[in-house]
Amino acid sequence: MRRFLSGDEAFAEGVRLARPHVVSAYPITPQTVVVERLSEMVEDGSLAAEYVHVESEHSALACALGAAATGARTFTATSSQGLLYMAEVLTYAAGGRFPIVMMNANRSTALPWNIYGDQRDSLALLDHGWIQAYAQDNQEALDLALMAYAIAEDSRVMTPFMASLDGFALTHTYEAVDVPEPPEADAFLPPYRTANRFDFENPVNMGYSAGPEYNRYFKYWAHRDMQAAAQVIGEVEDRFASVFGRRYPGLLEAYRTDDAEFVVVTLGSVAGLVRHEVDRLREAGVRAGMVRLRYLRPFPYEGLAQALAGAKAVAVLEKDVSFGAEGTVHTNVASALHRAGLAVPVRGFVGGLGGDDITAEQVRGIFARLQEGPEGPAVTFLGIDEAAPSPRGPSTHEESGVRQ
Amino acid sequence: MSSQNGTAGKGAPAQSELFFGHKACAGCGGSLAVRAALNELGPHAVCALPAGCMSAVGFNFPQLCFANNAIITPFAATAAVLSGIEAGLRAQGVKPDDCTVVGFAGDGGTADIGLQALSGAIDRNDDVLYICYDNEAYMNTGIQKSSLTPFGAKTTTTPAGAHAPGCLTSKKPLFEIVAAHGIPYAATASVGYLPDFVRKVRKAAGIRGTKYIHVMAPCPTGWGCDVDETVELARDVVDCGLWYLAEYEGPAVSGEPGGRFKVSRKPRQLGRVRDYLRRQKRFSALSDDDIAAVEAARDAKWQQIEAWG
Amino acid sequence: MIEVLWHGRGGQGAFTAARLLGAAAMEAGLHALAFPSFGPERRGAPMRAFTKVGQAPIGDRSASSQADYVVYLDDTLFGPGWEAELKPGGRVLLNTTRAFDDPRILAFDADGLSAAVLGRPIPNTALLGALARIEPSVSLDDIGAAVRSSMASRLHEPNCTVAAQAYQTADSLLAAKGVAGDPIAAAAGAAGAQGMEGAAAADASRAESPAASPAVRPADVVRAEAHIPRLRSQFAHAPSLDPADYARSTCFAAGHLVTKNAGWRSQRPVVDEAACTACGQCVQYCPDGTIFLKSRRVGSAKPAAALAQPDFDFCKGCGICAKMCRFGAIAMVPEVESLATPAGPSVPAPESEVSA
Repeated sequence: MRRFLSGDEAFAEGVRLARPHVVSAYPITPQTVVVERLSEMVEDGSLAAEYVHVESEHSALACALGAAATGARTFTATSSQGLLYMAEVLTYAAGGRFPIVMMNANRSTALPWNIYGDQRDSLALLDHGWIQAYAQDNQEALDLALMAYAIAEDSRVMTPFMASLDGFALTHTYEAVDVPEPPEADAFLPPYRTANRFDFENPVNMGYSAGPEYNRYFKYWAHRDMQAAAQVIGEVEDRFASVFGRRYPGLLEAYRTDDAEFVVVTLGSVAGLVRHEVDRLREAGVRAGMVRLRYLRPFPYEGLAQALAGAKAVAVLEKDVSFGAEGTVHTNVASALHRAGLAVPVRGFVGGLGGDDITAEQVRGIFARLQEGPEGPAVTFLGIDEAAPSPRGPSTHEESGVRQ
Repeated sequence: MSSQNGTAGKGAPAQSELFFGHKACAGCGGSLAVRAALNELGPHAVCALPAGCMSAVGFNFPQLCFANNAIITPFAATAAVLSGIEAGLRAQGVKPDDCTVVGFAGDGGTADIGLQALSGAIDRNDDVLYICYDNEAYMNTGIQKSSLTPFGAKTTTTPAGAHAPGCLTSKKPLFEIVAAHGIPYAATASVGYLPDFVRKVRKAAGIRGTKYIHVMAPCPTGWGCDVDETVELARDVVDCGLWYLAEYEGPAVSGEPGGRFKVSRKPRQLGRVRDYLRRQKRFSALSDDDIAAVEAARDAKWQQIEAWG
Repeated sequence: MIEVLWHGRGGQGAFTAARLLGAAAMEAGLHALAFPSFGPERRGAPMRAFTKVGQAPIGDRSASSQADYVVYLDDTLFGPGWEAELKPGGRVLLNTTRAFDDPRILAFDADGLSAAVLGRPIPNTALLGALARIEPSVSLDDIGAAVRSSMASRLHEPNCTVAAQAYQTADSLLAAKGVAGDPIAAAAGAAGAQGMEGAAAADASRAESPAASPAVRPADVVRAEAHIPRLRSQFAHAPSLDPADYARSTCFAAGHLVTKNAGWRSQRPVVDEAACTACGQCVQYCPDGTIFLKSRRVGSAKPAAALAQPDFDFCKGCGICAKMCRFGAIAMVPEVESLATPAGPSVPAPESEVSA
């Protein structure tokens, strides 16, 4: 059924179709609508879940962890400081191999306090052992909610899944979404069955400590099974396409990259804008292309190397910077190119921080820089370093004459 | 995973032990509390333990000392994990009738870092039993002050010296704080009086909703006493009135609007505080004036306790 | 580089000794590292500490699997396999009242020596004094300087006295073999000699190698059988310890034990069958759940149905059972058997049912 839904609402619809046993929730802007909708679904009986009103994000994930240890399918959601507050529990969930699904509304991190979207929250936690996916639009958000369970719960993967939606750009933006019917969803997503749970016939101890002589094996297998998720993601997307008719392209989407010379690598909702600029440049005879990273963990090393094999210059556009280094996605992309032996220059473009819009003009500017040649700064802050002014007005640096 | 669990060898049941083979110090009061509670709750108990002595000594793969289902939790999250376990079992319809979801957390894990989650669980009235084994400091990290460390106790972060005899704060009144939530059932206990503790565990297991038991559990390593003195000190602390055995039945259980407090053991005459304190090295720097102050605080507390009836 | 491996029990002062030796080496102008083995085990559990001393900065901060000197603060920790921890030419320094034939073992009563001076048996500075006699790079003066820089002032003189006396004791032990000079060579030259000390040598019956003593007599193991965590060997079908099976979750068979706690014990409860009424107080108050009511043997003098019996695989010897017994039926007696451990590089073998 076609409905006009915000990203938060779409994701909540996807969660309802997945039939979790336990939902633990704590509100934070811009995630709040998800947990509101889910509470309504539980109240009206359309979602038969235990809804636990926890008193913090730390408890939200801890509660989901306890429920997952009983073999229950679980859901929670958060954003920004809430994600950082539960960071400790992320490693418990990952190390315990509990396939919890969590929606993260990508939002800036304090200070200064800011409720708007950027990707610094989830990117700061790439190393915590969760699968990380980034939605482009609300349809993909809903579909990710369903696919997340199928991927995370696969016996080859058994790893928690974080689906990130750009704050406001997706969470609070309404668009047409096809909401599957429950029988279809049930056909796609079977009930969760696992041996990684309490057992009253043969009791188990779970989540213990393991000293130096054993510990490395747990980490080794978490790494291997995360790598194995790449294959499972492909299989799940095939099955999803056969049930729902919508096909997703795996860890990344390569858009017009076959003969592309100038490629922008990005993630999340800004891909819509970049795609548009690629089309415009192609019409003008420029061999432009885009790579949209759908998953950052597992990271698509092979797909990136393939998509960027013929590129003369690559830009990474992200709503994040690791202070004193570069954007975290930038680092990962450069590593993939290095691993593949590709000497193509990569430049980082940091934009959209604290909810600042990334404009078409800025994206055009990025492609222009790539065409100018390999020379240029490794990291460019949009709206500060480049000439094109931010739509929110000129930067104070330019006003004060500061040169970066 | 259960597919690889294997099965235990056969043998005629003689005596049930569910917490065994752990690496706690000799004479550990905390392990006595956990052992006694689990043996009362039986093999269908599911337990959750945060970072702390009992998880550190009981759960080091592949030496796994719980015979029942058990899990480690993040330090602050004992109560939240308990809530999740209970919700998960109930939502799937797989919770046995005789299953108690029980947490064992230390004084730091309960009164400090875990208090928020505990308060949340009580607010939701989740059907779980939370047992705080109180050894009056962060013993797992090597004897640092918690908010349940008593006045005058020397710890590695409240050293005794020219300017202080040790800890300068008094024990947070956690039993009363928990009771103030209107929790269905709360109790205090001591490993020195195990039959009383076990009776309270049994009573708690039979009540629906959130239950809290605060059991005094001496730590010879942290308190500075001999390893065979654990139980005696756990009796002395009750007999001299610095700890008390009591119960609170919330409105749902007592039928009274504010709930009802009840003292389980009224010593005919409170013993000498001095004798109790002087048995322990942690109180060695207390002056006579300090001891008089401890005794005065005890007397004031007992005025409140006696009003409970 | 000289490596010293210290065996003690948690709380006994092995790490203090390791640190003092490192500090003494520093006083001697050498480079040194001292560190404990970190583990979940608690006070009373066997633990190890390490000192490394060298002319150059020491980069390797990992535990020594073999050492020039292996020092035992407690002879119940000395057991089969001790040789494996010695480098070629290495020496054992052992706190014991027993005597040993082996020339690699320098054995003396550090407890007795320290108790005579300090009022309590604290063997670590005595062992340091003896070590100063056999290791040329650290002198007795260096040990004294370390004591003064690391301990409370009232402890300086007594501990320096202990160290000096132990130095003399070690000197006499070496001299008794009639060989002076290089201590290692001296020890090697003494191979085959009788006991190192006349008094101890008289007790020849106890001078046997500890390797020959049984680890645990089967009769010691008395245990409940319902729901109890049990040793891996007692599982009808033991769960897999292949990482591909266990390391893909943290979910494993409940109550799966691979080590015992017998090595923690310095004294053991002995139950007087005639006095025991099987009241169960000891059973109830045991923190470890290691004392049980068992049927009496046929022909027992008393008609009572049961008798309290400890499980010596897991009893830590805390003595609470003896304190709780209202009938005086339990006595704590010093542990005489060498139940613990030899000294495998990471996990004591008889205590452990798996090896990594």
